[in-house]
Amino acid sequence: MWAEKLRIRKNNVIADLYPLTKLWIAALYALCVLILGTMKIDGYPVYMMAAFLVVPILALLSGIFKKFLNVYKGIFTLCLFILVVQALLIKSEEIVWGFKLFGNFTINVYKGGLQKGLDLSFNIMNIASILAWFFQTTENKELVYALEKKGMSPKASYVFLSTLQMIKVLQHNSRVIMNAQQARGVETEGNLFVRARAFLPSMVPLIMGSIANTEERVLTLESKGFSVKCKKTHIFDVVPSGNERTAMIIAVTITILVVVWRVLAWVL
Amino acid sequence: MAEKKKYSIKTDFSLLALLLIPIAVAVNFVGGQVAVLLKIPLYLDTIGTIMVGMLCGPWVGGLAGLITNLVLGIAEPTFIPFAIVNVVVGVVTGLCARWDGFSVWWKWIISMVLMSLASIISAAPIVVLLYGGITASGTSLITATLMATGMNIWRAVISTELVFTISDRIISYIITYLIIRVIPDRTLIKFSIGENYIKKRKADEEAAA
Amino acid sequence: MGVVIELRNVTYSYPLADKPAIKDVSLKVEEGKFYGVIGKNGSGKTTLCSIIRGFAPSFFKGELEGEVLLYGKPMSEYDQGELALHMGYVFQNPFNQISGVKETVFEEVAFGLENFGVPVEEIEERVMDIMKLTKIDHLAEQHPFELSGGQQQRLALASILVLEPDIMVIDEPTSQLDPEGTESVFEIISQLKKARKTVILVEHKVDLIAEYADEIFVLNDGELIKSGDKHDVLTDVSLLDHGVQLPQMAVLGHRLRKRGLNLDYIPITEKEAKDVIGRLIYREAQ
Repeated sequence: MWAEKLRIRKNNVIADLYPLTKLWIAALYALCVLILGTMKIDGYPVYMMAAFLVVPILALLSGIFKKFLNVYKGIFTLCLFILVVQALLIKSEEIVWGFKLFGNFTINVYKGGLQKGLDLSFNIMNIASILAWFFQTTENKELVYALEKKGMSPKASYVFLSTLQMIKVLQHNSRVIMNAQQARGVETEGNLFVRARAFLPSMVPLIMGSIANTEERVLTLESKGFSVKCKKTHIFDVVPSGNERTAMIIAVTITILVVVWRVLAWVL
Repeated sequence: MAEKKKYSIKTDFSLLALLLIPIAVAVNFVGGQVAVLLKIPLYLDTIGTIMVGMLCGPWVGGLAGLITNLVLGIAEPTFIPFAIVNVVVGVVTGLCARWDGFSVWWKWIISMVLMSLASIISAAPIVVLLYGGITASGTSLITATLMATGMNIWRAVISTELVFTISDRIISYIITYLIIRVIPDRTLIKFSIGENYIKKRKADEEAAA
Repeated sequence: MGVVIELRNVTYSYPLADKPAIKDVSLKVEEGKFYGVIGKNGSGKTTLCSIIRGFAPSFFKGELEGEVLLYGKPMSEYDQGELALHMGYVFQNPFNQISGVKETVFEEVAFGLENFGVPVEEIEERVMDIMKLTKIDHLAEQHPFELSGGQQQRLALASILVLEPDIMVIDEPTSQLDPEGTESVFEIISQLKKARKTVILVEHKVDLIAEYADEIFVLNDGELIKSGDKHDVLTDVSLLDHGVQLPQMAVLGHRLRKRGLNLDYIPITEKEAKDVIGRLIYREAQ
């Protein structure tokens, strides 16, 4: 009954796919992007650039567009910055576009830089966003237990899951400590030297407390049979939704088509 | 007199060491956040990795670095390639610690130089080849400015890294070492390299007496 | 009754320590009995628990002389997994007894059984039963970190008891709890007594020890200075010199005797005190 209750089910066909299937889809997509990136028109990676629409659409279809957009904003800003810097600062012979700002100061968009910038930024945008899609449709513990089923050590699962909880615990504790230090008169504002001096008293109690706790947690884990060498069971289970085969067939077919297209473009 | 101590991956990865990894990652997170909060112009986000490297050696240190960037990558996938740099931080610190590289001043200098070199050698290619010199960090503005003056992208990136990474790593090393100095001996002895810091303290006390 | 644990002339020092934490201690723990361990702070109670549970010297390192036997076999021949099946261990800090990877109380209790590879259906049954026994079943869906100290300590007991160990080593389970939390934890401990489990309990509140224990070990400065039946030990005024508290009722009994009242024995619990005084009044009335 609890095993049923703990199971994570999403009411979207794509998001509900098995974590490793989604990971494969992400990997195949990245491969397609890299292949498309080698096909250029006038030195511009036009096809790969066009592909950047794929992931937002996938996110929309997966019912996670809002969460996705939050991550995507950061990726987009970074890529835009990269593009601008490359296009304006990597000089090459050919200038695509230039205009006079004031006096003799001109801003030039160099062709070489633009090509390079588009190449880099769209690659990053494509690959980072497919990863964002993967993480936004998959809960961390689904991924961890799916990997454990594939043979990853249960100790690795423990470390990873414990890390995610520990970050929250320490963030909370650090707020408590910093408030206490401020109350005790540790200056956290003022010139750089004053602020830098506040760093140690903010971090040391946090780290010392955590390390002391670690020793006792070893005893806890030993008491609960963590070191027993046997096949562990899990009441939380990750189960395929049943649509994995279809999804993989679609993903592999698209990848094959992209490869064939690339090869044909070469030969012809 | 110093007897050679044998290290093995198995003893490095004791349960205590494994449990230190989540703490290291969380300390990396919190350290970075506190630095931002206090408006300190350094990253200070590898203190956890350095601490584990100093206490448990290169493999556990490297793993702590790897996990840090993978977890960062969940929210910001563009951090994932920099896992290599964080792994290098852990591994190099661990190797220096095994060599007892934090015992006397000249060893400290060698350790810091090695660490800074390794950081730059691992970071620069990622920054230049993958990200065209620009990352999510504020220092990219400086890189961009250097490039605007006509500097070659490699030189621009390495110059920025030289200034910021080196000062960050040196300060992080000192902070971590100060922290290790206040860890009680009975705790230190349970980590594979912990003994080195106990000896050091005893020697200091004798010298003071 | 059979001896389950035996210490023979055990001396143990923590690494880097100048003097041993436990000195030449010999004792026997018999099956189905409830043992109370008392002594002032720093007398070696927790260290004794660590030795009995097999954490010292395996985890704490340091040096151990003498013999520690579990079911007649040296402790060093057991691995930690086996020990976890034989012996449960619960200690002071409730937070540190949470695995740190589970998101509900139910899963937290199940953690140990998962490690031992128990089938899922059986896990669910056993977890349900133990949560009812420890009265945390209404918290099943909460996050372990969100519980109060008392609730977390009951969770700690539940997640060990679910493994059904033969022996329970419990080290000051209530020292960080409020009176309400303390009471709820002792409710569970009284269940253990009813179930005739072998229990070794370190507890500052000596009145509670008087209530539950069969036998007492008294430690002072790492040495076992007295052991035996709780009536013999807890009425011994010489223990006061070693900073050991006696139960309130025993102190009262001694005072009444000093005043010339003819108590037939020194009580150590409230119930016994009522008995003794009742009989005294009855005799006087005659």
